[in-house]
Amino acid sequence: MLSEKVKEEIRGLFKKYRTKRSACMAAMQAVQREVGHLTEEDMREVAEMLGINPVRVHEVGAFYTMYNVQRPVGRYHIQVCTNLSCSLLGAEHIVNVIERRLGIKVGQTTPDNKFTLSTVQCLGSCGTAPMMQINDDYHEDLTEERVVEILDGLE
Amino acid sequence: MGDRETGVVTLKVNGKEITVREGTLILDAAREAGCHIPTFCYQATLSGVGSCRMCLVEIEGQRKLQPSCVTPVMSGMEVKTESESVISARQAMLEFLLSNHALDCPVCDKGGECELQNMVYTYGPRKGRYAEVKIRHHEKDYVLSPVIVKNSNRCVQCMRCVRVCGEVVGRGVLGAIGRGAHQEETSFLRSYLDCDHDGMCIEVCPVGCFMRRPYRYRARPWDLRGSRTVCPYCATGCRMTIEERDGEVVRSIAREGEGFNDKMLCARGRFGYDILNSGGEERLTTPLIKKNGMFEPVSWEKALSIIREQFTKADPRRLGGIASAALTNEELYLFQRLVREVLGSGNIDSTSRWDAATTGAFIFATGITGGGVSIYDCMEAETVFVVGGQVSEENPVTDYIIRYVSDSSRKSVLVASTRAMKLDTSAELSLRHLPGRLGALFNGLVLTLYEDNQERLEGIKEIGVLKGRTVTDLAAECGVSEADLRALCARLESSGSISMVVGTDLLRFREGISGLRLLGDALRALGKVLKILPVLDRCNQRGAWDMGVHPLFGPDYRKVERAGLGCDGMLDQAMDGAMDALYVVGEDVVNMYPDRTFAEEALSRVGFLVVQDVSLTDTARMAHLVLPGAYPGEKEGTFTNQEGRVQHISRLLEPPGQARVDLEIIEAVGSSIVHGFSDGTPQTVFDEIRREVSMYRDAAFSGGSPDGWLVKKSARRLEGFELIEEKKVSLDADPEHPYFLVTGNHIFLSGSLSRRSGILNELVREAVVEISEEAAGELGVIDGQTVSVSGRGFDATYSVRIRKGTPREVVFIAENFEDKAANRFYKRGDVVPRVKITA
Repeated sequence: MLSEKVKEEIRGLFKKYRTKRSACMAAMQAVQREVGHLTEEDMREVAEMLGINPVRVHEVGAFYTMYNVQRPVGRYHIQVCTNLSCSLLGAEHIVNVIERRLGIKVGQTTPDNKFTLSTVQCLGSCGTAPMMQINDDYHEDLTEERVVEILDGLE
Repeated sequence: MGDRETGVVTLKVNGKEITVREGTLILDAAREAGCHIPTFCYQATLSGVGSCRMCLVEIEGQRKLQPSCVTPVMSGMEVKTESESVISARQAMLEFLLSNHALDCPVCDKGGECELQNMVYTYGPRKGRYAEVKIRHHEKDYVLSPVIVKNSNRCVQCMRCVRVCGEVVGRGVLGAIGRGAHQEETSFLRSYLDCDHDGMCIEVCPVGCFMRRPYRYRARPWDLRGSRTVCPYCATGCRMTIEERDGEVVRSIAREGEGFNDKMLCARGRFGYDILNSGGEERLTTPLIKKNGMFEPVSWEKALSIIREQFTKADPRRLGGIASAALTNEELYLFQRLVREVLGSGNIDSTSRWDAATTGAFIFATGITGGGVSIYDCMEAETVFVVGGQVSEENPVTDYIIRYVSDSSRKSVLVASTRAMKLDTSAELSLRHLPGRLGALFNGLVLTLYEDNQERLEGIKEIGVLKGRTVTDLAAECGVSEADLRALCARLESSGSISMVVGTDLLRFREGISGLRLLGDALRALGKVLKILPVLDRCNQRGAWDMGVHPLFGPDYRKVERAGLGCDGMLDQAMDGAMDALYVVGEDVVNMYPDRTFAEEALSRVGFLVVQDVSLTDTARMAHLVLPGAYPGEKEGTFTNQEGRVQHISRLLEPPGQARVDLEIIEAVGSSIVHGFSDGTPQTVFDEIRREVSMYRDAAFSGGSPDGWLVKKSARRLEGFELIEEKKVSLDADPEHPYFLVTGNHIFLSGSLSRRSGILNELVREAVVEISEEAAGELGVIDGQTVSVSGRGFDATYSVRIRKGTPREVVFIAENFEDKAANRFYKRGDVVPRVKITA
C-alpha cells in the first residue's frame, strides 16, 4: 500500500508533465525512496494512479538498475560500478573487499538488513574510477582502505 | 530532398530506377521494385521500431548499413539490397538471434511456418559459433490466458506482440521486461492476462513464442486442410481460414493479404471455430418431430410431406417465415422467394429483436441502398464520429481498424455512447449520453449547427421541428453537458470530411433515426463530405436486407405490393391464435425477442412451428418439427458484411449425419410444394441474385480480389421510410428500480451461436452484469462479487464487472446468456428496462 504521503507526492508530479504516464519514473522513485524497493502491489498502485497497465511500470523498473523491483534492499544499498573503466582500475578487487568485510556476496543483504551489495553498469563517473554509489551518494577514487573506512563510518 | 511540386521521389534500388511517393520507406519502395527484403519486426500496421536489423540495406555514400523499415527514401538514393555486406549482415543478425534461441523446433508448434526457420533456411549461416550458455527465461512454458501459452526462450525480441497489443487491440497488457539479451516480452510479472484474448499476439509472433493453447501439439501446418471463409460472429465480416485435421477443425487463422482485415481477428473469430466440432448431443443430426411432447427422429421424406400438408392448407395471411441474418445471401434470397412465391405470404423478417419499420428507417438513414462503403475509405475522413453502439465489444475488429488507422494518422475520433468503451482512449472527445436519447443528442448537434449557419440550413424544412427547443434543454435531455455537446459540434463543423460509424443502439432503442437523418442532411448542406458506416452484429444482416428478407421491401429494396408482418407482428398475431404456421430458420426467437415470456407464449400458440437450426435452441424446443441445418463452415455461399462487402465462403466439412445445408433444405421445402421451385447450387442462385438485385449485378461469386467486392448503389429508391414516428423513450424516475438496463453482445460472444463454443465459454465462465464505479461504491460491491439483479418480473444473480467511466445509472447485461437471458427483463414494448441491484 502506498502511503498517503507518497500518493500526494505523485499527484504533485502530474503538474510537471504533459501526460500522467510521463511521471512514471519520478513516481517510482518517490515510492522507492520511502519503501526502499518496489513491490508488485506498489507497481499496481502506481499504474492505477498513472492510468496505465502495470506492465508499463514494470518495463521501466526492469530497464533501469536504479529501481529495485521486487527486491528488498538494506538500509544502505551499495552499487559498485563494474563497467570497463572501473574494472580496469580494480573494481573487482573493490567488490571482493566489500564481500569479505560484510560477509555477503553480490546480490545479498546482511542479516541485520543494513547493507545490500550490487554491481551495476556505468554510473558516468569514469574519470574518478573505480567508484560506487551508496544510496544517493557517489564515492570515488576508491582504494581498499577508503572502502573499509566508508563502510565502517556508516551508522 | 523530395520533389516538393509533385510529392514524388525517384531513386534506384539494385540499379533499377523507381519513383515513389515522398515519405515512402526504403523497404516498401524496394518491395515495389520487386526486391524482397527480409524482416522480423516490421509490420505494415504497426509503428516502426527498426530493432531486428534483418532489413539492413546499403546506401551509396553512407558508411553504415541502414534499417530500411524505418528509413524514408530520398531523391537520388542508390540502394543495394543484395550486396556482399548486406548478405553478411543478415547472416550475422541471424547468428545472433539463434545464439539465444531455444532451437527446439521438433516440439515447437510453429515448426513449418516459422519465420525464423524460413529466414535461416534462406539467408542464414549454416553454423553458429556461439558456444556459451544460452539465456533461459524459464524451463516450462507458461499459460497466459485460456487461449494463450507462452515460451519466451524462442523470442527474437521483435516487439510485434507488444506493439499490436497497444496499437491495434488497444489493451497494452504486454511489455518488454529487462534489457538486451535478457529482455522478455510478457505480461505483468507473467500473470494471467485480463485482456481481449483475441490472440493478436499469437498471430503476429514470427516464432513459437506466443501460441494458441487449444491448438497445442495438435498438428503440423502441412497436416492441415483449410478453407477460406468469413467469421460468422459479427458483421465486420473478417476473412479467415479454418483448418482441419482428421475431420476436426483445429484452428482459424487470418493471414496478411488474404482479406481486408489482414491478420486481425477477435477472440470469437480466432477461437470460436470449435462450434464446428460440437457434435454429440448438442448437434442436430436428423429431423425431429414432436409426439406427445417428446421429439422423435423422422425421415426427411416424412418431414417434408408434413410441411407440405401444413403449409398448403394454411391461409397465407396466417403463415410466415423468419430467417436468421447469419444465413448466406443465397439461402436468404431463396427463403424470401419461398415465403413470398410459394407460400404466398408477405410475413417475413430477418431479426426478432428489432421492429420492421425501425430497421427500414435505419436502412434509409444510413444510406445502405447507396452502395458499399469501405471502412478504410471511412477512415480517410478528417473526423470519425462513433455513435450508437459499443463498437469495441460488439465489433472488435472494427474497433481495431479505427484505432490503428486513427492513431497512426492523427485523426480525430469522437465517441458518443451509453457506456465507457476501449475506444475512448483513442478519442479526442468521448461523451456519455443516456440510453434512448440519441435523438436529443443528434437534434442538439443540428440545432447548434443551425445557430451558427442559419442561412445555409434554412432549406432543410425538418429543422422546423426544433424551433422552440434550445441546445441547453436538448443537452440536458440526453444527459450530456452543453459544453461537451458544443465541443463535439465544433469538431464536426471544423472538419471538411466526416465519417459516422453508427451502431445498433438506434435499432434497440427505436429512436434517434430521424435525428441521424437530420444531422446528415445538415452536414451535407454545410458542404461536408459525409460517409456513414453502419455497424451491425449479425454476420449477414446487410445481406438479409439486400435480399429482401423484410416485410416492407423485397430484394433490392423493391417496394412490396402489400406490406407483410415482421417478427413482432407475427408474434402478435400468433398471440391471437391467428398464425397457422411459422417457419423459423436459424433464429433463436425465444432468447432474442425483447420479452421472452411473450415470445414463448406466442410461439406456443402457433398452429405448426417448424424450426431449422444446428442445435436444439430454446426456440427449437417449442417446435412441432425440427430440421437439422448447417454451420457456415459446412456450406458454400456469400456473406455481405456491414460495409456492403460481398465475400465468398467455402465448405470445409460435411454436415454431420442427416443434417443438410440450409440452402438445400429451403429448396426441398419449396420444391415439395411447388414442383421445380429451385434446384440450384449456391453459384446458380447467386447468378439469379445478380439478375434480380441491381446492387449485386457485377459481383463475383468467388475468386476476384481477396478484399471481396463492394455492392453498388441500388437502382431503386427505398420508399416509405422517409418519415417515421419515434416514441420518446421513457426514463422517468423509478426509485424502486434505479438503474437503466442496456443490452448488447458480450465481447467474446455473438448471439446464441457462440455459446456452443467450448473455448469461448472458457473465456466467459459466468453471466456478468457490468456496473459503473459509482454504482459499485453505492452498493459496496467489488469486481467478481455476485449480486442479484431484479427487474419488473425477473431476477437473477450475476457476477459484477466494474466499468470505469460508465455513468452511474447505466448497467449492462449481454444478450448472450440463455439461462439468464437479458430479454427476460423486458416487457413487450420496453426499450430501456429498469432494474434494481442488491449485493
